[in-house]
Amino acid sequence: MFFRVIPKDVIPDLVRGLSEQYEVIGPVARGDAFVYAPVEDPADLRLDYDTTVLPAKRWFFPESEELMRFRVSDNAVVEEKFDTTPRVLFGLHPCDVNSLLLMDNVFLGDRPDPYYKARRDNTLIVGVSCMPTDLCFCDAWGTDETHWGFDIFLSDIGDGYYASIRSVMGAELVDRYVACRAITDADTQAFQERSAAFKAAFTNDVDTSQLPVLLDAKFDSDIWDKLGEKCLGCGACSVVCPTCYCFDVHDELEADQLHGTRVRTWDSCQFKQFAAVAHGQNFRDTRASRVKYRYYHKQWGYLSKFERVLCVGCGRCTRACKAQINPVRVVRALQTGVVE
Amino acid sequence: MSAFAQKAPGSVNPYRPSPARITSIIDLTPMEKLFELRLIDDEAREAFTFDSGQFVELSLFGVGEAPISISSAPSKQGFIELCIRNSGDVTGAMHKKRCGDIVGLRGPFGRGFPFAEMKGHDILLVAGGLGIAPLKSLINHIHDDRHEFGNVTILYGSRTPAEVLFRDQFDMWKHREDFDLILTVDQPDDTWEGDVGLVTKLFDKIAVDPKSTYGAICGPPVMYKYVIAEMRKKAMDVDRIYVSFERRMKCGIGKCGHCGVGHQYACIDGPVFNFWEAMNLQEAI
Repeated sequence: MFFRVIPKDVIPDLVRGLSEQYEVIGPVARGDAFVYAPVEDPADLRLDYDTTVLPAKRWFFPESEELMRFRVSDNAVVEEKFDTTPRVLFGLHPCDVNSLLLMDNVFLGDRPDPYYKARRDNTLIVGVSCMPTDLCFCDAWGTDETHWGFDIFLSDIGDGYYASIRSVMGAELVDRYVACRAITDADTQAFQERSAAFKAAFTNDVDTSQLPVLLDAKFDSDIWDKLGEKCLGCGACSVVCPTCYCFDVHDELEADQLHGTRVRTWDSCQFKQFAAVAHGQNFRDTRASRVKYRYYHKQWGYLSKFERVLCVGCGRCTRACKAQINPVRVVRALQTGVVE
Repeated sequence: MSAFAQKAPGSVNPYRPSPARITSIIDLTPMEKLFELRLIDDEAREAFTFDSGQFVELSLFGVGEAPISISSAPSKQGFIELCIRNSGDVTGAMHKKRCGDIVGLRGPFGRGFPFAEMKGHDILLVAGGLGIAPLKSLINHIHDDRHEFGNVTILYGSRTPAEVLFRDQFDMWKHREDFDLILTVDQPDDTWEGDVGLVTKLFDKIAVDPKSTYGAICGPPVMYKYVIAEMRKKAMDVDRIYVSFERRMKCGIGKCGHCGVGHQYACIDGPVFNFWEAMNLQEAI
């Protein structure tokens, strides 16, 4: 990796330059909230945002997408569409950069998903540093830092950004669009100080020790019944989660009944039918079992395959859940045996 | 700057079904039919190999997809057989298909029975109801390689005589000396000459050499723990007892998340697990 210092006031130039060849997606304000959306005017880009309502996953794995158009008569595929739009996601926090790496394990590992891959291959990532909100706990999983998974990462050092350049494309973009300078020891000092202040600002204490053991040893604990009683089963936690990847697939017939489209949509293990099979058998029939499965999979199932937990501590589910169920409280309940 | 080169999508799409023609339909019972399917593309058909215990996604455009285990033996190439119970949207639509119709297939997917490892050993197969479908593949595969195995015992339980699947073949096998086949039903009729009662009762009638026997079980979820208990009573090793699980599936390739069993996915880590693995999977049995 090599580094440059990019003055803050040239960021609009960079965005404007990128817009010539890319669709630029970044954090923009919508009322009191922020969303990742196309940046129409560089002035709209809000690199000082806290957290977006929805994560970045929808730019790779949309909430609904057409897999293929088909003809019924001979069960044939008529057309497959892959989105290869050149895109830049500009302004992802470390949690969201890390979340994409976790998604990659699923979608780009064995039998790669061509829809996800087409978008991922054609999207550049520009990350930006942040300060933790009162809901953030990325430090618990080590996802508060990111050292790969981006083309450029911008760390705020006051008047400018301490830019980590990770890819050839990142280097070309910086060279082409912005007047930047080499780093000095003072810049690196400022980067370290800012990083220390960031790490000191976390307010959520999450004791992650021995979680896989606790999840199995306390599988029959009544904490899950208590959480199940609170859970509304709405699935909002999965929708806002940057690492929830489960999906459903269904066919939509056109009016003439001759053609149709196979569509995939986000799904949630919190929905009652998620694990149901024919003849009324449902392997997770209760809300308690479904809440438990979500945590069991994220903190142990995924870990057993990819050596990372499937959570980046972004705090979105904490904000979205009307029943106050979130990883900070669930992990605490696992540690103490008490649901607060 | 070099112009940003758009990267083309890959040519392999694991969600795209391959067209297959229905070349035979046999009514097994009022609820189950046996379909023989042949992939239409010559190259794809010749390249299609599988293990007993693996499954395919049956894809009917306009209706959806359903995971179905393969009932024919890997030793028979060029076609596969699927034993399908009319129990949902996709299977219901499949039951309306006629010979010559084209359907879609994806797969084969998942991990099947360890056939090579089972060679040289006695085999004890226990099926309940539709659970005979994946075991039929293994039974016929063993049949085609019979000299490689020791004693082969098949215990098969159904609710009623009318629900016994593959009855023609099993009736023919009754007198074979190289297969010990015992059928049982819960509710016999006047014509039933086989055993009566749950499949677990048949364990009293069989001898098992625990040091050299592999077990394979497939049936309704409630059956597993009772059959495993009988196998354990016979001192069979936990890692030589294999079970096959049914779970909801959409993708078949470890992405959609529906088939989670404990910390694994039935579609890629199973659907066949040995009991040592299964007893370490939450909510498996």
